[in-house]
Amino acid sequence: MSLIDQIAPVKDSAMADLEEARDLAALDQAKGRYLGAEGRFTALMKQLGALPKEERPLAGKAINAAKVEIEAAVLARRTQLELEALMPAEPIDFTLPGRRRFVGRLHPLTRVTEDIVRCFRRLGFAVADGPEVEDEYHCFDALNTPADHPARDSQDTFFLEPNLGESMLLRTHTSSVQIRVMSKQPPPVRIVVPGRVYRRDNADSTHNPTFQQIEGLYVDKGVTVGDLKGTVETVFKELLGDEVRLRFRPHYFSYTEPSFEIDFSSSLTKSMGKEWLEIAGCGMVHPSVFQAVGYDAEEWSGWAFGFGIERIAMIRYGIPDIRLFYENDIRFLAQF
Amino acid sequence: MKITYHWLKQYVDFPWTPEELAERLTMLGLEVEGIEHRSGDFEGVVVAQVISRDKHPNADKLSVCRVYDGAGERQIVCGANNFQAGDKVPLILPGATLPAKPGEAGLPIKAGKIRGIESNGMMCSAEELGLPVKVPDGLLILEANATVGQSLADYLGRRGSDVVFDLEITPNRPDLNSLIGIARELAALAGKPLRIPSVEVASGKLQELAASPGAVADFVSVRVEAQELCPRYTARVIRGVKVGPSPDWLRSTLEKVGLRSINNVVDVTNYVMLETGQPLHAFDVRLVSKGATGVPTIVVREAADGEIFQTLDGTSRTLTAGMLLIADEQKGIALAGVMGGKNSEIQPDTTDVLLESACFKAASVRRTSKALGLRTDASYRFERGSDVEICDWASQRAAKLILETAGGGVAEGVEDVYSMTGMAPTILLRHNKVGQLLGVSIPESRQVSILAGLGFEVVPVEDRASAGCTLLGVPSFRVDVHCEADLIEEIARFHGVDKIPSTPPRGFVGSNEFDKLHDALMESRLLLSAAGLCEAQGQTLIGDEVAKLAVGAESLIKLANPLSADMNVLRPSLLPGLLECLSHNISRKNGDLGFFEIGRVFHRVEGKQAEERRAAMALTGARSPSFWAGSDRDSRCSIYDLKGVLEEFLDAMGVKGVLYSRRVGETALFLESAGIAVGGTLELGEIGLVHPALARRRGLRDPVLMAELNLDLLLTLRGGARRFNALPQFPSVRRDAALVVLESVSHDAVLEAVRQAKPAFLDSIELFDVFRGKGVGEGSKSVAYAFTYRHPEKTLTDFEVNGSHEKLMAHLTKTLPATLR
Repeated sequence: MSLIDQIAPVKDSAMADLEEARDLAALDQAKGRYLGAEGRFTALMKQLGALPKEERPLAGKAINAAKVEIEAAVLARRTQLELEALMPAEPIDFTLPGRRRFVGRLHPLTRVTEDIVRCFRRLGFAVADGPEVEDEYHCFDALNTPADHPARDSQDTFFLEPNLGESMLLRTHTSSVQIRVMSKQPPPVRIVVPGRVYRRDNADSTHNPTFQQIEGLYVDKGVTVGDLKGTVETVFKELLGDEVRLRFRPHYFSYTEPSFEIDFSSSLTKSMGKEWLEIAGCGMVHPSVFQAVGYDAEEWSGWAFGFGIERIAMIRYGIPDIRLFYENDIRFLAQF
Repeated sequence: MKITYHWLKQYVDFPWTPEELAERLTMLGLEVEGIEHRSGDFEGVVVAQVISRDKHPNADKLSVCRVYDGAGERQIVCGANNFQAGDKVPLILPGATLPAKPGEAGLPIKAGKIRGIESNGMMCSAEELGLPVKVPDGLLILEANATVGQSLADYLGRRGSDVVFDLEITPNRPDLNSLIGIARELAALAGKPLRIPSVEVASGKLQELAASPGAVADFVSVRVEAQELCPRYTARVIRGVKVGPSPDWLRSTLEKVGLRSINNVVDVTNYVMLETGQPLHAFDVRLVSKGATGVPTIVVREAADGEIFQTLDGTSRTLTAGMLLIADEQKGIALAGVMGGKNSEIQPDTTDVLLESACFKAASVRRTSKALGLRTDASYRFERGSDVEICDWASQRAAKLILETAGGGVAEGVEDVYSMTGMAPTILLRHNKVGQLLGVSIPESRQVSILAGLGFEVVPVEDRASAGCTLLGVPSFRVDVHCEADLIEEIARFHGVDKIPSTPPRGFVGSNEFDKLHDALMESRLLLSAAGLCEAQGQTLIGDEVAKLAVGAESLIKLANPLSADMNVLRPSLLPGLLECLSHNISRKNGDLGFFEIGRVFHRVEGKQAEERRAAMALTGARSPSFWAGSDRDSRCSIYDLKGVLEEFLDAMGVKGVLYSRRVGETALFLESAGIAVGGTLELGEIGLVHPALARRRGLRDPVLMAELNLDLLLTLRGGARRFNALPQFPSVRRDAALVVLESVSHDAVLEAVRQAKPAFLDSIELFDVFRGKGVGEGSKSVAYAFTYRHPEKTLTDFEVNGSHEKLMAHLTKTLPATLR
C-alpha cells in the first residue's frame, strides 16, 4: 500500500479513538498513540524519506492535512470533556436548607432606643449622656427634689457604700443629664438622653432594678405646652403608628410645672382590654430648675418628657415580662 | 460672557483691582468663571535707536550694533542689512517673548553670545512682530520722530495688558449680556456715574461725503408682517463706507473676548452687541431688492414651510412655517435674531450699509434656533429677552462707530416700526417688607437709592394709603423684574448679602459631645452583630462572688443598700454577666452561642470610682449554623474563631498596631489568655479560653472563648479619614515556603524576622498552613507562608523575585532558625 493510501485508515482510526475517550487522561493517551513520538502518524512521517523525491511534497502535504484535522478533533473533544466535567454530578434540590451565615441581632432595647433617637435627631435634637453613678445634687437637688422628698428615700434609690466621704448613688432617672447639659451650655437646648437608670425594686414581670429611659429636653424662647404636645405626638406616631391617640393628664413631677402624664390609645391597648395606657411623663421645666443651672426663667421656657424604653418595647413587640430583656435567651434575642 | 477690565473701565470708573472686581462681580451674582491675564501687545518691545553698526568679527552676514533703548546702551548682534546708525527700530529685551505665530509657541528672547559676541536683545522685523510686512528680511524701521524708550505698543497705539473675565450670566438677566449692563451694576455698587458713550455723529464726518447722504426713506422701507414675533424693527442706512480691516483697538477688543474680526462694519455690529446687548445686523443695501415703492424693502414675515435659506455660514437650511424671516420682496435675507443670509452680507466692495436693530420675540428665536440647531451670540441674547427700548439707540451707536471706522455718512432718520408702546410696568415696594424678608434694617432712602441707581424710576404717588411705600417703574431692560420680591432681591444684592447678619437656625441647637460617641457605639454594635454575634444586655448589678472572676475585691464598687447578695456590686466587667448569659442558655439547651455586649462597667481606680464603656464577646458551641454536608460540620469554636471576630472588628474600626501577648499562668476566669495592647503600652483588653472546670460548673462543655475591650480607649485609637489607595497596575508573583521552626517560635516572631530582612518587592505575607506530625520533628512545627511580590511600576521578572525570595529565605533559616521543608 502506498504511503498516501495509508493515511485515511490511520486518520479514521484516530478519530474513532478520540471519540471513545471518556475522560481527559484517555484523550491524552489516544492523542499520544497517533501524534506522539512513537505515534502512528509520526511513523508515517518517517516513511516520507523513503519516497521518491517527486512524490514527497504531495504525500507530506496529505499527512499534514490529516494531522491538522486530528489536532482540531483533539481540541474539540478536550473542550467537550472539560465541559462535561463541570456538569453537576447530581441534580440540585433547591428546597434543601442553604448553608447559613449567621448574622447577629441587635437587642430589642437597642432597636427601640435607636428608633426613638433617630426620630428626635430628625427634629433637631442632639444625643446627650451623663454618668450613671451620680451625686445627689444632679439627681435630686438641682431638679427641685428637696431632701425630704420621698423619691430620695433609700427605699427607692441605690446608694453606693460611702467612699472618701462622698455620697454617690445610681441615677434614678436620666433627668440628671438635663442639669449637666444646661450647666455647661447656654440656651437654647435640644437634647435627647437615652440611658440606664436604677430603682430599688425587686424584679418581677414589670420591674427590674436596672432599666432604661429616654428623655427629651427643649429649652428656647417662647416654648409652650403646645410645642410639648406637638413634639410628643410626632414622636409617638412615629414609634407606634399614625393611628395612636394621646391624652395628657395633669400630674405631678417635682422638676416640671405644669406636669402631665401621657396615656396612649390604639388598637393595641384595646386588644389588651384597655382604652388608655400610661406611657410617659412630661411637663414644662420648673423655674427652680432653670435657676439651678443659671437660666433666666423669664426669658426662657422649656419642656421635658421621659419614658421607659422597656415599656415601649413591651408594648411594641408584645413582650409580657421585663426580665426577658436581661436574661438574653438566644431564642428571645433571635426574634428581633 | 467675556469682558475685559479696561473695556469695562470705559463705562464706569470703579476703584477696584482686577481681583477685587472679580470678587465684586461674584457677590453681585455675576459669577466669575475664569480670569485670564493678557499681556499687552509687544510686551517687552521698545523703540530703540541704533548708535553704531560694525561688522561681526566672526561672521560675515552679522553686524554688532550699539543700541540705545531709552535707559541705556546695549550691544546687539543683528543679521539684517536694511538699517544704519541713527535708525529707530523695535527692540525686544531679554526675558520678553516674541508673539506666537499661529500653531507655534512664542519665542522667548535671552541674553547670550552669538558667534562669540554678546547680544542683549533682538532688533525685530515686522514679520517677527506679526505686523504687516513692508520690507522682506529687514528690520522694521520706525518713524524718525518715534520716542526712544517708548513701548512699541504705545507707539503703535496698541492696547497694553488687560484682564479678561469670563462671567456666568444667569438666564434671568439678559441685560447683563452687555458691557453697559454690567457697568450699570458696578456703577450702582461703586456709587460712580455710568458713562454711556455718545451717539452724536461728529458733523465733520458728514461733510466728507461729496453729496449729502440723504434721508433714510430714500433708501429703505420696512414692512413688518409678523408683528406678534417682531415688536420692533429699526433700519438705518450708512452710505459711502469703505469696508476693510478693523482698526487695532476694535480688532483686539473683539479678539480678547473671543470674537473673530471680520471687517470694520461687521466688527462694529458685534462690538455694539457686546456693548449694549442688542444684536445688530448689517446688510449690503445693493443686495436687498426693491419693492413697489422703488426702494429696497425689508419684509419681516414668517417663513413658508419648506423655504430654503442659506445662512451666512454657507449652510442651506430648510425652514418651517412659524420661523421668522427677514426678507425683501423676493427672498429671505436673514433668519431673524439668529443669523444673516449669505445673499445679503457685507461684501468687500459694499458702500451702502443697511443696519438692522430689532426686537424679536424670545420664544420665536428660541424655537427657530433649536429647530435648526443653530446657536449664535444673537440668538443667545434674543432668546433670553431683549430690551425693546434700546433698538434705536444701539443702531445710532453702531452708525457712529461705522462712520469712525469705515467712513461714510448716515442717511437722516430711521425707519422704526414699533408696534408695542405699552406703559412701563410699575411695582409697589413696601419698605418694611424689605427688613422682614432680609432680616436686616435698611433705611428707606437707601432702598430707593439702590433701585434708582439700577435704573428703576420712582413714580410719585399722592396717596396716604401708600405711606411707607414707593412705587417704582421697571426699566425696559429689566425683563426679569416682576414683583416686589424681585425689588427686594436687588436691594439685598447691593446692600451686600455678606452684610446680612446670620441668625442661628431657629430651634437649632447643634450637637452634643455625646452625639459622635452614640454613633460610634451604634457602629460597634452593628459590626459585631454582622460578625454573627447577638447583642446581650446584662444586669448592671451583679453579685460580688462572680464579679471577682474579673477583678480583685478591692476594685469593686459596692452598694450600701443592696436588694440581695447576688446584686450587691456594680459590674466591674461585662464578662461575668456574659458567662451567666451563656450558662442561662445552656441550661435551656441552647448550646451554640455567640454574644456581645456593649455597656458600662464600674470599678475603683486609686480610690476613685470610674465608669468605662466596654465591648465584650463570648463564643461557644458549633462554629457555624448546622448544615447537612461537609466534614467540618460538627466543628466547635476555638480561640481563633473569637480572635477572627476581634480582628475584623478592630480592622473595621480602624485600630492598627494591635498586639496579643500571652499571659503566663491562669487567671480567675481564663485557663489561657492574652492581653491585647496597642502601641505596645495601651492596655486595650484581653482574650482567653475560659477555664474548662469553671465552664463545666456552669454546664458549659464546649470550649468557652471570651474577650473584652475598653471601648472608650478603642474609640480614641480609631484611624483617620479613609484614603483611596490606587489599585495595583502590575501583576504580583506568589512564592510559597514551608518553614520548620521550634514550637516556641510565634507567628509574630516570623513576621518580625521578615520585617528585619526588608525583602525587596514584598507586597504581603499570608500564613496558610500550620502542621505538626509526620516529617516534622517532635517539638517543632511547620508553618507555611505565601509571600506575594509586586512592583508598583513594572512587572517583576522571575529573576528579580527569586533574588529577593532567596535572600529572605536565607535570612529566615538563619535567624529564626528554620529549615525549609
